[in-house]
Amino acid sequence: MKKILALLLALIMVLALAACTGNKKTGDSLIKVCLSSEPDTLDPALNSAVDGATLISHLFSGLAKWAQDKSGKLVIVADCAKELVEGVANDDGTVTYTYTLRDGLKWSDGKDVTAKDFEFAWKRAASEELGADYGYMFEVVDGYNEGNLNVKAIDDKTLEVTLYNSVSYWNELLAFPTYFPVREDVVGNESWATDPATYISNGAYTMTGWEHNSVITLEKNPNYVDAKEVLMNKIEFYLSDDENNMVANFKNGTWQLIDGVPTNEMTALKEQYPDEFKVIGQIGTYYVCWNVNEEILPAELGLTGAEAEAAKADIRNAISKMFDRNYIVEEIGKAGQVPASSFVAMGMTNPDGSEFYKTAGHNEGYNGYYNVAKDAVESNFNEAIETLKQYYNWDGSKFTNFPTMTYLYNTSEGHKAIGEYLQAQLAQVGITMNLENQEWNTFLNTRKQGNYSIARNGWLADYNDPICFLDMWTSGSGNNDVQFGKGAHADVACYSIDITDLGYDIKVENGTWAETYDVLIKTIKNCTDNEKRYELMHRAEDLLMSTGCICPLYYYTDIFMIAKTVKGFFANPLGYKYFMYCTIEG
Amino acid sequence: MNSKTAFYILKRILLAILTVWIVITVTFFVMHAVPGGPFMSEKAISPSAQAALEAKYGLDKPLFEQYITYLKDIVTKFDFGPSLKQRGRMVIDVILDGMKTSVKLGIIAAVIAGIFGIVLGAVAALRRNKIVDKIIMVITTAFVSMPSFIMGSLLLVLFAIRLGVLPANGAARGGLVLPIITLSLYPMAYITRLTRSSMLDVLGQDYIRTAKAKGVSGTKIIFGHALKNSLIPVITYFGPMLAYIVTGSLVVERIFAVPGIGRAFVSSMTNRDYPMIMGTTIVLAVLIVVMNLVSDILYKVVDPRINLE
Repeated sequence: MKKILALLLALIMVLALAACTGNKKTGDSLIKVCLSSEPDTLDPALNSAVDGATLISHLFSGLAKWAQDKSGKLVIVADCAKELVEGVANDDGTVTYTYTLRDGLKWSDGKDVTAKDFEFAWKRAASEELGADYGYMFEVVDGYNEGNLNVKAIDDKTLEVTLYNSVSYWNELLAFPTYFPVREDVVGNESWATDPATYISNGAYTMTGWEHNSVITLEKNPNYVDAKEVLMNKIEFYLSDDENNMVANFKNGTWQLIDGVPTNEMTALKEQYPDEFKVIGQIGTYYVCWNVNEEILPAELGLTGAEAEAAKADIRNAISKMFDRNYIVEEIGKAGQVPASSFVAMGMTNPDGSEFYKTAGHNEGYNGYYNVAKDAVESNFNEAIETLKQYYNWDGSKFTNFPTMTYLYNTSEGHKAIGEYLQAQLAQVGITMNLENQEWNTFLNTRKQGNYSIARNGWLADYNDPICFLDMWTSGSGNNDVQFGKGAHADVACYSIDITDLGYDIKVENGTWAETYDVLIKTIKNCTDNEKRYELMHRAEDLLMSTGCICPLYYYTDIFMIAKTVKGFFANPLGYKYFMYCTIEG
Repeated sequence: MNSKTAFYILKRILLAILTVWIVITVTFFVMHAVPGGPFMSEKAISPSAQAALEAKYGLDKPLFEQYITYLKDIVTKFDFGPSLKQRGRMVIDVILDGMKTSVKLGIIAAVIAGIFGIVLGAVAALRRNKIVDKIIMVITTAFVSMPSFIMGSLLLVLFAIRLGVLPANGAARGGLVLPIITLSLYPMAYITRLTRSSMLDVLGQDYIRTAKAKGVSGTKIIFGHALKNSLIPVITYFGPMLAYIVTGSLVVERIFAVPGIGRAFVSSMTNRDYPMIMGTTIVLAVLIVVMNLVSDILYKVVDPRINLE
């Protein structure tokens, strides 16, 4: 008995010791977080990853920045600029903005930040020689198409930039990492962004350590003009992308924020850590795309050209209605995703602040292009079958002449589970869809080349404007995986647009994709009237969705876990996380 | 060392170089044959920007010319080129950075596996069929049959979460303890079993009986005769063990977030970071070829009866 008692006591002591190591002191000014593995680059111009953007937003300061106002609402405010000025319209329709830099702006090595640094940084980021993924973020700036951005430093304090036309999300672009300044003499050394010794920045923090694949340490930058507002003295970004490991380090109190949890543990973690487990919206859509050139009609119908295309659109739209999006998010996704009824994602707002997706589709009784309510699942499914019966032979329980298709996805358990669900839904009515998975890079290549019939797809916004979901589908776009206006589809003339009611002299009947959709996107990009512009974007989405080539499944969410002791944290709609105003209490 | 041995070693070294050259050649052409490319991303860059990048890194040249240039740079300048994905970093720096940790992890795990394996194996053999032997056999059977990712996860949950006595993050102080244990358990168990059976074999030999009959002390028989001779199979296991530790560490590094070479090796493939794929493959190939060579030579040193030809 004594032995057992002694053992018990020893056990209690060990556990008590273990519990002690997890405690944090009050007012600690160090936060340890883990977002992802080693970033490919921390050069603001080259980065295209969300975790990289979070780090860069702490290290650099652009003309504007994301902040939380007193009510907790996210706003874009001036940072290096004295104020976010209004543009002045020129006679040729271009718009010029003249920014004055604040006094006392310094680089982390003590040198002054000048307007010249911005001019240099922007021209560098947009250049083809650099080949940055996000070079196209400058496409709104005059001269981009000619390879010579119309931006110049008038003097050390004044920066003048001209845009092709007024852009409603311009201030948001100014807060985007690709628009942050870098100094010519610093980036002259090609490996400047890989070593803390050469990493000269101008933001709230400086990089004081980078143990590759292990941890990046940021410390408060005393030269930062708003240094007194920065509350967190030190941030350690641990570099790991193993979600099980992240959870282990969160559970034992080592890390205060982790940006990922394993899907199979989500339900358990949500119950175990109701206050720490966070799900926030992310502007993005998970969808299935068709290859527009894929032949799916039975030969005996004998349809060609525009007629065939209309029939195919009808069929694809019908198939989009056969899936229960609630089942996908609740049983497979399990991460609070929202069933999608449109391609432009939830989180995009109209000029009046209302949700863009809620005014899409112009349907009575529901938002978007499908009714994704649970009670509409059965009627959608039945409607789809009625539509398909017009084109295929129905033997009373299944279609007998629907061609076999292949669904392509990139190797992942989650994508596979969704593929299997889609497959099962179609199999109920005799439609055979085989599943094929490819490794990520190969998959991207296959999809871009259009060597597929149906594929998994997803898109995350770069800024809060629906155009970033719409301009990717123009004939010449590199992201046009559906192959609109390419190959045989280039000559298919079955699309119509009419925007004469909005004051434009554009009305096309039975035009090609290039004559309709491309024209619509071009008109949107040149439109300066915000109300009209949003109406045009709704019409572009209507045209896009009428093809049936896009089958949205859900809107993405961002899942992370944050310790209860962390106060003052916020994240923006693009998924960037901000720790500078955090304190650790309790 | 006689001239025959020297000739043998020279021949083996030349063969090793040939092996590495074949690995380089096959990897080079296979990786270029795989679809996709280093500048492929979900958000496409413009074709002209892509062409500019390809020209910058020499990827626009004919494949065979790229191959010759690569070989020349490796042989004459020991230059593995720049990483295409981690812009601004040289492949050799990334590899050396990762190797620092991986080699430390591997060597400590190998040493622990060797020492504990031999001692436990010898003890088990000397206490054959006693309770100690049975306990050792049960435990080693469990370790040999348990894959490292299960062992790693178990240790992680127990020591890093439940007890909280060791960190779950390989970069933290003491963070290598759990990965080292995980990595060493399998080879340790294997060496234990190997030593035990080979020791039992040796103990039954005539010369041991002779020594006993002559009145040589027990300690001297064990350390002077039995142990030395029973280590020959253990030495042959040296090569495969290294291969296990190298591949096993890819998994273990992930579980414990150890900043080793494993991640660079795996991600270079998905990223089509050609110079990085070549660099990591060459380093691992050289490592395995050299270790097999060393193990073969040691073999000869321990047992002069072995004819290397």
